Amino acid sequence: MALLEVEDLRTYFKTREGEVHAVDGVSFEVEEGSVLGIVGESGCGKSVTSLSIMGLVQSPGRVVSGSIRFDGRELTTMSDKNLEDVRGKQIAMIFQDPMTSLNPTLTIGTQITETIRRHMDLSKSAAEKRAIGLLEEVHIPDAARRLRDYPHRFSGGMRQRVMIAMALSCNPQLLIADEPTTALDVTVQAGVLELLDDLRRDHGMTMIIISHNMGVIAETAEQVLVMYAGQVVEQATVIDLFDRPEHPYTEALLGSLPKIDEPNPRNGRLSTIPGRPPDLLVPPEACRFAPRCRYAGMDDCNKVQPELREIRTGHWVRSNHPASERAAEPVGAR
Amino acid sequence: MSEPDVVSSEPATKRRGRRLKGGPLQTRRTEFEDTLARTASARGAEAGASLPRASLWGDAFHRFMKNKASVVAAVAFLALLAFVIIVPFVSSEDPYALDFSQAYLSPSWDHPFGTDQFGRDLFIRTALGGRVSFAIGFAATFTIMVVGIVYGATAGFLGGHVDNALMRFLDALYGLPYLPFAIMTLAVFGTVNFWTMVVALTIASWFTTARVMRGQIITLKQNDYVRAAYAAGAKGPRVLYRHLLMNTLGVIIVFVFLELPGVILGEAFLSFLGLGINPPKASWGTLAQDGYTAYQAHPYIIVIPSLCIAWLILSAFFIADGLRDALDPRTKEA
Repeated sequence: MALLEVEDLRTYFKTREGEVHAVDGVSFEVEEGSVLGIVGESGCGKSVTSLSIMGLVQSPGRVVSGSIRFDGRELTTMSDKNLEDVRGKQIAMIFQDPMTSLNPTLTIGTQITETIRRHMDLSKSAAEKRAIGLLEEVHIPDAARRLRDYPHRFSGGMRQRVMIAMALSCNPQLLIADEPTTALDVTVQAGVLELLDDLRRDHGMTMIIISHNMGVIAETAEQVLVMYAGQVVEQATVIDLFDRPEHPYTEALLGSLPKIDEPNPRNGRLSTIPGRPPDLLVPPEACRFAPRCRYAGMDDCNKVQPELREIRTGHWVRSNHPASERAAEPVGAR
Repeated sequence: MSEPDVVSSEPATKRRGRRLKGGPLQTRRTEFEDTLARTASARGAEAGASLPRASLWGDAFHRFMKNKASVVAAVAFLALLAFVIIVPFVSSEDPYALDFSQAYLSPSWDHPFGTDQFGRDLFIRTALGGRVSFAIGFAATFTIMVVGIVYGATAGFLGGHVDNALMRFLDALYGLPYLPFAIMTLAVFGTVNFWTMVVALTIASWFTTARVMRGQIITLKQNDYVRAAYAAGAKGPRVLYRHLLMNTLGVIIVFVFLELPGVILGEAFLSFLGLGINPPKASWGTLAQDGYTAYQAHPYIIVIPSLCIAWLILSAFFIADGLRDALDPRTKEA
């Protein structure tokens, strides 16, 4: 049994115009000790997926249907009180912007020890000792002294380390990192990713890392989930995905990355994906990527939604025109 | 703030090697790292020596002291407070003894503020009246704050329908004119004493506080650190207290000094209309009203309590101004 099993998760947001299908039938599993990467462009539902797992989707959004089983327990029907005990203790989360994720009016020490004491039966001094240990583990120099500092005395990279320390404070089984390096300097990004990877190994944690950055995903993840318009469009191991992407969207995503060593076919301009994602208010019945897809031809791409199918062992794709089937098809590129 | 990234700036090869060795991170630190850490902490110690350990309130105090007008106002405010507290203790005059032979004496060495139509010393009566005015002012400000904060925080924190209901009710109350409503309240009570006065002054003046609080709470609720607190398993009431209410303290303190003059002015106004504290007790308002009947022949009787009121209001406003700048984190750089 996998540590986390998400099945047909649907999270909708009520708006004046109707319900926005932010997450629309997402299923995946995360094995204990593995790292799942979720990648996709802004608004594809990756963050909402993680918030749904945490039970932190805020009104007007709500998990409409589907199941989230963590360690054999169903989270979607769990009472708030029980869920509060799971959050922070068994599932911890790191947010995107470390500059705003810490309360500016409390010292780092207060914030870490409060989290520790929320879930562990420790005295104040024991919690403090633990906090110092955690800060040392995330390479904050002079940890004991810095415990009494307020967040404004820390740089962005340090704050993210503090956030990581806080997330680790109760030895969670699952760590969800929602764009953990997006708000950081490029030079600091590598350090933070390295740190996350080290800590994950040391603590034997399972991790979900969410990013729109293919590089981050390639660096950290073992399994990758590509999301588009609230759905999973491709799932594979990281090596398989990057070596043999199947979905036209994944191909286009990888194709849009600038490469240093290859001469660019478009006169030095980056290749882009034309169009924009569909309106999730009224998701089309058809393939959601069809309007932007180079291969959507005369067939029923615009009529029927393709199912997620296993194109080869461990490689799932939701497309009528995956790369490996394309040569055999007469329709081809339009 | 550059110490944190010292560790991650070591060569990548070193980091890779470290990871392979296994074991807890601390024991895996190399000599090179130790040296780095030591220099880093040495630098930190230096920085700590040159920079005062800044607490939020310490910073605020520092900034407040830089604002000359506010400091002068604070001194003036405290001087006035000291005057009303100390004078009745040290004065040998009886504030209630009637002696018509001493009526309407102009200010002199014996009676610095002169005497009233009953021959009572106005110096001590002004001090005693000030006590009443201050006491009513502080008490009413306190109740206004409590009612406004509870009401506004409830609406802002719970949101949704509760918020809507509470705020529409408040909108309706907003239509109530402040002074007529206060007068009506006193009429309903039938008597004027300290507590009825406090109620009358509170009843139609907590609306703005409630609105501001609601706005503050709603703004603070959007903060990532609130979401992060929930993600760490914090319970609602704790989040409300620790991350929301505590962060409005600055606003509350400023509001106290904005509200206080209004309340004291209201009390003075009601007293002037004859709805004040019953004689022989006095407040600045009733003293001014006494002077009103003889203002042509003996202007000092009305001028002195009026000056006291003006003194208090002006100093409170300047203090509020200074506090607002001092407690606003956005002015930090200034």
